[in-house]
Amino acid sequence: MDELAYSSRMVNWAPLGKLLFVMCLLVVGLLTDSILVPIITFTIGIIMMAYSTNLKLPLLILVAIGEAILIMVLGSGMISILGDHSQPALWEDTFLWFNIYMTEQSFNTAWLIFFRAIAGVTLMLAFASSTPIPLLSFALKSLRIPNEIIELIVLIYRYAFLLLERFLVMIDAAQCRLGYNGSLTAMKSYAGAMAGTFIFSMELAEKSEAALACRNYNGTFPIFREPAKMSIIWVIISFGLAVGLYFLGQYTGDLVNFAKIFAPLFGWDI
Amino acid sequence: MSEIFRLEDVSFTHPGGTRKVLNNMNLTIEEGSRNAILGANGAGKTTLFYTLTGVYKPQEGTVYDHGAPIEYTKDGLRNLRSDVAVILQNPDEQIFCSLVEEDVAFGPLNLGLDKEETAQRVAKALRDVRMTPFARRPLQQLSGGQRKRVAIAGALAMNPKIMIMDEPTAGLDPQASMEVMELAEKLHLQGVTVLISTHDIDIIYKWADTSDIICDGRIEYSGPAEGFYSDPETVYRCGLLTPSMFNMNRDICALDGMDPAPYPRNSCEFTAKFGNPKKSGRIICVGAEEEDAPAKYEEVMKDLSGVQTGVYGSDVRYALTDKNIDIQFDAMDMCFTGAVEGKDSVLFYDAIYAPTIKEQADRLRKIGFDVDMEVI
Repeated sequence: MDELAYSSRMVNWAPLGKLLFVMCLLVVGLLTDSILVPIITFTIGIIMMAYSTNLKLPLLILVAIGEAILIMVLGSGMISILGDHSQPALWEDTFLWFNIYMTEQSFNTAWLIFFRAIAGVTLMLAFASSTPIPLLSFALKSLRIPNEIIELIVLIYRYAFLLLERFLVMIDAAQCRLGYNGSLTAMKSYAGAMAGTFIFSMELAEKSEAALACRNYNGTFPIFREPAKMSIIWVIISFGLAVGLYFLGQYTGDLVNFAKIFAPLFGWDI
Repeated sequence: MSEIFRLEDVSFTHPGGTRKVLNNMNLTIEEGSRNAILGANGAGKTTLFYTLTGVYKPQEGTVYDHGAPIEYTKDGLRNLRSDVAVILQNPDEQIFCSLVEEDVAFGPLNLGLDKEETAQRVAKALRDVRMTPFARRPLQQLSGGQRKRVAIAGALAMNPKIMIMDEPTAGLDPQASMEVMELAEKLHLQGVTVLISTHDIDIIYKWADTSDIICDGRIEYSGPAEGFYSDPETVYRCGLLTPSMFNMNRDICALDGMDPAPYPRNSCEFTAKFGNPKKSGRIICVGAEEEDAPAKYEEVMKDLSGVQTGVYGSDVRYALTDKNIDIQFDAMDMCFTGAVEGKDSVLFYDAIYAPTIKEQADRLRKIGFDVDMEVI
């Protein structure tokens, strides 16, 4: 992700400004019941992500986004079929031991939660794909977050990649020795690589502590090129947009009704 | 030379371990010396380095830094580590930042240097290891060899008084290895005490004045390398091998009934000793700084065509990138070998290497070959 962030067109934007902007949009999406607001924040998130990455997302991240959306679809689907029994059902059925009871409200709530969730994902990804961890940690320091926590974030982030690299080397090494010859052997190989990576992490921690000491590490990671500072423009834009969206949400609560939109398709009588 | 480090009966056992990794070790490191620390895997070399930097505190014995015992306090260790830089065997253990330049700047910033000074040091260190084009690249994108260079740059940027290099050439291609040895020599000429541990015995034999041989946590031998390599049983017991140059000299001398001394340490000395050279080729040595190297090149080369040219040192190599240079690496040895063979050559070198060039000519003289050398 850092690699992506360093090549982002938004890398030189103030990390704290971006964080404030994203947080404002996320919070306002939660404060209003209008589905229009999360749809707008989701759109903003998508646009920011596209601008940040120039629409060049690595396959691994695309798969991760796809997986997250799939989980949200499943979660929202569950919410939609667990409606309040005091309300009229749009769809009522029994599947094995499971009672399906979908109401207009549960269906709309599911859509609201779905859009809130994917708006969160796109906004956070827009932020993460344009903000390298060292710059973020530096920005967090100005928020008076304890140094220990920040250094832990940086170290974990740094070593996660090394361990992943090591794991992949072990997987390749296993492949060279027919480690995937049969499903049982493949499982054993993966398990071995995971255990090996864990043991290596302990060894690496010990060696890295010594190496850090040799480089005069005194508890904080200094930054060579400091990120841009958050200007007042960021505050104005973030809060202005949040307030605007909040009021928009107040007056458009019933404007979009997904149950009514899908009613002709499923023959629901609303 | 005064002593910079002294170990007196030092023993160290890793926590939870039973074997003494350092076992009553006694060792003295002289200031400004070229030291090779040699030993088989597991002999205790890396542990020795960590002991010298105060990372490991020995359970027995004392480590002296400039004649005073190391103080294992926060301030004491900070002072010690401000003077001592370490290049670890595995660069991944010492690289902590995401970007190349960030990592090189890590040490200088920890020393409390300002941004301007740090930026200068970072630029210089990256250029010395030929990594300038990679300054803004994430480290994950680099190969193992490139990471090694970044690790070396990180140590160089500290401007240390003592440089400890643990297997600095491991994982590097031969050209990069030569550059590392050039850097080690440059540091030595700048007055830095350089300690190198390596398994590349041929490269280190060329360079080191003193070899300290570690075997099972003890110092088996300290002194000029020939004294150790002349005892094959001890060499074998210590898990080492003799360098090719030493072997060839010993064997040819045995065949011809000659005295193996003086010992040739590189190609030009070997050729001078055994090649029956007639008349020396002329070697024009041009010491230059980065700024004036292109002008000196033009001036010297306008009257010389077809003469082989070589560069020695990163500054001149960088400055003469777009010039027609025949020998980019190991040029000093190759130009002097050319001279022994009767060929003329021009050697452009960083001005700081002047004593090394002179030392090489003196060594050839001791072997009995008077090189026709002109220094510009």
